[in-house]
Amino acid sequence: MMVRYHLLRLWREFKGEILVLPGRSILFFGAVTLFLLPLASSHPYLLRVVSLACIFAIFAASWDLLSGFVGQLNLGHALFFGVAAYTSGLLNLHLGWPPLVTIPLGAVAAVLTGLAVGIPCLRLKGPYLSLATLAFPVILMGLILMFTEFTGGELGVPGLDRLAPTRLHEYYVVATCAVVFILLIWKVTDSKLGIIFHAIREDEVAARASGINTPMYKILAFCLSGLFAGLAGGLYAHFMRIAGPSTLSMLTSFQVIIWTIFGGIATVHGAVVGVFILFPAVEVLRVAPEFRMLGYAVLIILVLRFMPEGVAPWVTDRLERECPRCKEHNAFTRRDCRVCGTPLRVPLARGVPVRGEGVGAGGRGGAVAG
Amino acid sequence: MVGDILVNTLINTGVYAMLAVGFSLMFGVARLINLAHTAFYMLAGYSIFFFITRMGLPWLPSVLLSILIVVVVAVVSYKALIDPMRERETTVLILTIALALVLQEVMLILFGGYFRSVPSALSGYSTILGVRVTNQYLLTLGVVAVTLVAVWLLLMRTKLGLAIRATAQDREIANVMGMCDSRTATVTVAIAAALAGVAGAVVAPLYILEPRIWLPPLTIVLAIAVLGGLGSLKGSLLGAVIIALSESLVVFLVPQGSFFKGAFSLGVMILVLLIRPEGLYGVAFEEER
Amino acid sequence: MLLEVRNVTVCYDTAMLLNDVSLEVAEGELLALVGPNGAGKTTLLRTIAGLVRWERELRRGTRAGNITVEGEILFDGERIDRLPPHEIAARGLVLCPERRRPFRELSVLDNLRAGAYLVRDRRKVAETLEMVYALFPVLKSRSGQVSGTLSGGEQQMLAIGRALMTQPRLLCIDEPSTGLAPRVCRELFAKIKEIAETGITVLLVEQDVRLAFSLSTRNYILSHSRVVAEGTGEELLKDEKVRRSYLGLAASAGA
Repeated sequence: MMVRYHLLRLWREFKGEILVLPGRSILFFGAVTLFLLPLASSHPYLLRVVSLACIFAIFAASWDLLSGFVGQLNLGHALFFGVAAYTSGLLNLHLGWPPLVTIPLGAVAAVLTGLAVGIPCLRLKGPYLSLATLAFPVILMGLILMFTEFTGGELGVPGLDRLAPTRLHEYYVVATCAVVFILLIWKVTDSKLGIIFHAIREDEVAARASGINTPMYKILAFCLSGLFAGLAGGLYAHFMRIAGPSTLSMLTSFQVIIWTIFGGIATVHGAVVGVFILFPAVEVLRVAPEFRMLGYAVLIILVLRFMPEGVAPWVTDRLERECPRCKEHNAFTRRDCRVCGTPLRVPLARGVPVRGEGVGAGGRGGAVAG
Repeated sequence: MVGDILVNTLINTGVYAMLAVGFSLMFGVARLINLAHTAFYMLAGYSIFFFITRMGLPWLPSVLLSILIVVVVAVVSYKALIDPMRERETTVLILTIALALVLQEVMLILFGGYFRSVPSALSGYSTILGVRVTNQYLLTLGVVAVTLVAVWLLLMRTKLGLAIRATAQDREIANVMGMCDSRTATVTVAIAAALAGVAGAVVAPLYILEPRIWLPPLTIVLAIAVLGGLGSLKGSLLGAVIIALSESLVVFLVPQGSFFKGAFSLGVMILVLLIRPEGLYGVAFEEER
Repeated sequence: MLLEVRNVTVCYDTAMLLNDVSLEVAEGELLALVGPNGAGKTTLLRTIAGLVRWERELRRGTRAGNITVEGEILFDGERIDRLPPHEIAARGLVLCPERRRPFRELSVLDNLRAGAYLVRDRRKVAETLEMVYALFPVLKSRSGQVSGTLSGGEQQMLAIGRALMTQPRLLCIDEPSTGLAPRVCRELFAKIKEIAETGITVLLVEQDVRLAFSLSTRNYILSHSRVVAEGTGEELLKDEKVRRSYLGLAASAGA
C-alpha cells in the first residue's frame, strides 16, 4: 500500500518536473540511454568514447560554473584537471593508494590550487583575468618538463591502477559519477549560492554594494570549480592509466571552452551537450585523418556563426517558450503558462510603460578605455 | 657570447614588437583578442616559402604578395566571422581559436607536416662591433625598424591614425565625430595583419616552418600585450623589450632553458599583473554601461 | 524646419524611455529641452544622433539587445533615423555628449583635429581651428595638454570646440552645466549664445532651467518620456501648473 503511494508520488513528480518541459525530458532520456547503452552494444571502443565523454562532461560543467555563471573567464582550466591527474597518479604510483583514495585527494589538490590561483586573480578584471588564468597551467607544465625525474617529463606518470576490474564496470563508475557530479553542479547554480554567483557576474560593483562579500565568493567559485575539475582529472588519470603533460596543455583548456560555448555557456546542460556532440564527432572524424581537425574547426565556426548562443539554447528556444510574466519555461505546445496562467502566444504590448525613468538608460553604449 | 645574446634579443624584440603592436591595436580599437594573430604570421611564412621555392619568384615580390594574402584573409575572416559577433566576446574568442586551427590544418594539408625552410634573401656575413652577424639578420633588423617607424608615423601623423586612436579611446563618440567605428576596426585588422605578415616574411628564413609554429609565439605575444597593458602601444613596445631580454637570458643561461621560454614569459607577466593589475600602461578598466 | 522629430518611441527591454515624442527645431533657433532627471532628454539626443540604433545593431541578439526605436527623424527634409551616426554627422548634425567624453589620452589639439575628421579642405580646418581658439582661448594655451587632465569647464569647452570643428548646422549640447561652478557656467553659456549668433542652430538640453530659458528662443519640457509642454520661456514661466509640476519652481509673484 505504502509502496504504491510512494510510486504514484514519484510518478507525479516525474511528470510535473521533468516531462513537463521538452528540454528536461531530452536530458532525462539521454541519461537513461547512457545507462542502458552497454545492453545494446558492448563494443569496447564505443564504451571508451562514451566513458571519456562522461569524464569530460564533468570537466566542462565545472568550467561553466566558474566562467559561465560567475563570469570569471578561465582560459587555463586544464590547471585543475592536470594537478588532480598528477596528484592521483603520483599517489597511486609511489604510495600504492587505490583510486578511491587518490581521486578525492587529487580533487583536494585541485581545490587548493583553486585557492592559490583565485587569490591573485581577485584584483584582475576582464581580459587580464582571462589571460592570467591562461598562464598558470603553462607555467606548471614548464616546471613539470624541467624536473623530469620526479614527474616523468614528457612521458608522464604511467602504470596507474584501473578504476574497476572490467571495462564495463569502469563505464558504470564513470557514468554514475558524471550524473551525480553534474547534478551537484546544477544544484549549486540553482541555489542561493547560484543567485549570488549570477549577481557577481552581472555587476560585481553592485553586488559588492549590496553587501555581498565578492572576493570570498569568487574564491569559492574557483575552489568549487576546481573540485569538480579535479574529480574529472583524477578519473581521467585512472581511466587512461597514465597522467601526462597533455592534461595541462593549452589545447585541453581550449577544448573545454570550445565544448561549453558550442553547447551553450551558462547552462550546465549546454556543457554536457557540447561534449557529447563534439567529442564523439572528433573520434568519428578519425576516418578521414587528413581533414579531421579542419572539419572540427569548420564545424565549430559554422555552428557558432548561426547559433551564437550555443546548440542547447538554440534548441530550447524552439522547443520552449518563456512566460512573459513569471519567466518560467513552458513547452511550445502549451497555450497558457503552467505556473501563472498568462497566455503565451499573444505578442506583448510593446513596452509596458514603466515610468520611463531611464531604468535602461544605463544602457548607453560604453566608452572604451582602450 | 654577449654579442649573440644581443643580436638574438634585438631580433626577437623587433619581431615580438611588431606582433604585439598589431595585437594591441586590435584590442584597443575593436576590443578583439585575436588568438589567430600568430597564425597569420605563420601564413605569411608559408606564403613566402610557396612563392620562392615553388614559384621561383624573387624575394621582394614574394614578400609583398604574402603580405597581401595575409591581409586579405584577415579582413575577409574578420568581416564574415567576427564583426557580426562583436559583442559576444567569448564566442569571438572561440572563433579566433577555430580560425587559427583552420589555418594550421590547411597549411598541413597543402605543405605537409615536415619542417620547411625558406632560403635567405641575403647571404654572407658582416662584422659589426666585433660581432659576426649574418646579413639576413641585418636585413631583418632593418625591415623591422623601418616598419615600426612607419606604423608610428601612420598613427601619429595621419588622419587614419587619428581615427584609430580616437576610436580606441571612445568608440561611440568617434562615430559621432564622423569616424565609422566598423570601418576603423576593419582597417586596424588589416594593419595588424600586415604587421604580422611582415614579421612572418622576414623571420621565415631565420627559423623553421611547420604547421604548429603559431602556438609558442602566441603565448609570448599574449604575455607582452598583457604586461604592457592591453591596447597600449608604448606598453607593447616596452613589453617586447622586457620579454625578449629575459627570454634570451633564460635560453642562454639556464640549462634546458629553451623549453621553459613560454612559461617564463608568462611568469613575468603574472609578476607584473600582481603589482599592476592592468599592466604597465593599461588604463583602469572602465565598466561599460 | 531644420530638424523634425515625429512620434519617436524608444524602448530598452520593457522600459519605455521615449513615448511618442515629437518636436521641431527651426533653422537659427536656440531650442532648449528641459525636464526632471530621467525624463528621457539624453535618450532623445542620442536617438537623434543615431547612437541608439547603433547600440541596437551592436547588441542585436545578445541578452541586452532588446532595443526598439520607432518614429521618424528628418534633418533638412531628409530622413536620418535609419542612418548610422557617422553619416548623420556628415550631414551637419553633431552631438556634444553628456559628461563631455573627450578622447582622454589625446591632446587638446588632437581632439579638435578628430572633430575635423570629415572636413576635407585643410584651409577650412585651419580657419575653424582659429575660430575655436578665439572663442575658447584656454584651449589654445593648453593645446598640447592631454585632454583627460583638463578641468571640467575646460573639458566642456573642448567638447563644444570639437563639435564645432565638424562644421555643424545643428549642434546638440547635452547638459553642459553638469559639475561646473556657477561662474564657469555663465561664461560657458555666454559662449554658447555667441555660437548661436553665428547662425548655427543649437539644441540644448539643460537641467538648470533659468540658465536655459535665459538663452533660448523656444523650449520643450520633457517628463516621464513624454513632451508635456512647449513654448517660449515667458509663456512657460507664466503657467502656474507648468511652474509647479515640471520646473520645480515655487509659485511666482509675477514672472
